[in-house]
Amino acid sequence: MAAEAKLSHTAAMILQAVNAGYVYGFSVMEMTGLPSGTVYPAMRRLERDGLIRSQWEQQSIADAEQRPPRKYYKLTRAGKLTLEASRRRYPLLGKLIPSEEVEAL
Amino acid sequence: MTLRPAAVFHAADLALLRCASLLVPARQRGEWWREWRSELWHVRQACTPAHGILWTAEQEVMLFCLGAFQDALCLRAQLGRKPIPHATTMGSAAQCVLFLAGLIAISYGVALLLPGVSLVRHFQRYRDAPNLTLIQDARYHGDSTPTISREQYQSWKRRRQDLFDDFAFYRVTRESIADAGHTMAPGTIAVASPNLFAVLGLPIRFATSGTDARGSMSHLILSDATWKKEFGKDPHIAGRVLQLGSNPVVVGGVAPEGSWRLPGKVDGWLLVPDDKGNGDGQGFVVAHLKSSSERAWGQNWRMTAPNQDGVMADYSCVSLAERTRGPRDLFLFAVFLACLALPATTSLPLGEYRVSSQKLLWSKRLRRWGFLGCKIALLLPIVYFVSLDLAYLHTPLNLSTSENLQIAFAFPLCLFGLRWVLRDQRQRCPVCLRRLTHPARVGEPSRNFLAWSGTELICVAGHGLLHIPEIETSWFGTQRWLYLDPSWDVLFADPGLASASYF
Repeated sequence: MAAEAKLSHTAAMILQAVNAGYVYGFSVMEMTGLPSGTVYPAMRRLERDGLIRSQWEQQSIADAEQRPPRKYYKLTRAGKLTLEASRRRYPLLGKLIPSEEVEAL
Repeated sequence: MTLRPAAVFHAADLALLRCASLLVPARQRGEWWREWRSELWHVRQACTPAHGILWTAEQEVMLFCLGAFQDALCLRAQLGRKPIPHATTMGSAAQCVLFLAGLIAISYGVALLLPGVSLVRHFQRYRDAPNLTLIQDARYHGDSTPTISREQYQSWKRRRQDLFDDFAFYRVTRESIADAGHTMAPGTIAVASPNLFAVLGLPIRFATSGTDARGSMSHLILSDATWKKEFGKDPHIAGRVLQLGSNPVVVGGVAPEGSWRLPGKVDGWLLVPDDKGNGDGQGFVVAHLKSSSERAWGQNWRMTAPNQDGVMADYSCVSLAERTRGPRDLFLFAVFLACLALPATTSLPLGEYRVSSQKLLWSKRLRRWGFLGCKIALLLPIVYFVSLDLAYLHTPLNLSTSENLQIAFAFPLCLFGLRWVLRDQRQRCPVCLRRLTHPARVGEPSRNFLAWSGTELICVAGHGLLHIPEIETSWFGTQRWLYLDPSWDVLFADPGLASASYF
């Protein structure tokens, strides 16, 4: 996928949310206000296009916290480049979802 | 044991997610189900209170679960759409060949099921058909009227002949046949001279020398249809004594299937010696031309010969070669006619391919011509079998009607089939042989002096563009192919289809 690929506003919001540290499907939904029927397929498409990648949490961590393991998402290098391009296209994106780079994940 | 309301809602939500997961294609179902279930736990944690029931929170969780159905439907739409692979495989050369092969199989299968087609396909030619002649009184038109008397036939046979070396006679009558007290429906019997089958050069099935031991009884040769219908394909039919009218006859054998091409639809042939007399009435005479004669007599000619009273009369002689043409001869004639008519229905050139800086690989060009030849080779059997199927669909039709029908069906089928082959070939990419797609109108006819106007088609694999002019001009008379070099590949969906080294 070329770095200059143009994203829809919804996809750009999801990408911005993931970049901002909202790395689970439900947290992206909460942050963006998008319904589940939109967020999960969009995240699948972004993953298919190589803009984000997903990974299942380790079972031991989930067991320690007595909850099911979660699938979390992270921007790829191409995703970051695309997000930069999308920010130029949608200048309000950064204000809608303030970026608080969460590098811990 | 009490059932907690929160557990009931959770179970209902899980059931909803499970139902939604059933809409997801099986290959991805496990992954989606796992993620939804995991997310549901977190949604419930985030939305619902630790104790008790909050309806608005349960509604929110429920909305999340219903969203899973939208996820699944969206996923199905994405997977089901796949526009690019469909477009790239649609109209491929292999698909076209398979389609034509399928048509051959269907038409051949139908031909096997139709008894009329089977009959004509197994037609046995007369041994020396070009030298066999049907002689008739020239005053009568058409060959269905018997015009020669038995006396006339016998007078010719007695005289010394320069032209013919053998004559056979038959006349058609209706008689009832009885077998061991069982009377069958009256049939059409050809009362014939004993040499009829020998003159025609037709073998007789089941003929045995033992039948001669029946003394003075005449021999009855059954038609294949009568043998099958009335005698149940009895292989020991030869030698059986039947009652024909009021006379006993012995079965001398069975005529080959579909062999009778002379006037009259016959159920059996009663071979009566000339000295016994075979009744009065007009009949037909078949004569065999002397093979020493160098002259080519043609299909239809006239002769003057004395009749039984010694008066000279005109007779028409029709070669049996014309009457005994098999379905292949008729088919080849129809193909010949179609080839003659083809240039009137479509242009024969396959377009211009000169706008290329480098030449196309010879293997690609060979493949293209091979594909054209393959399509024509597959078309011909389709036309042959379909025309036979249509012509012999209704078996009670007489042979000449069916033959006319065969030509009537074979000619347009072949003509439009060849037309389709050429038009299809012109609208295929010369490199990958796929059908060109996405037609777009270019230019305006009113500006034809400034630029070309017509239709532009594109190869989905990115090999080139086809420009078809709407109005033929001196500078743009026929369709042109414009090759695209590999630098255009980035524009096309499936780079694997575009061959970077086709030049």
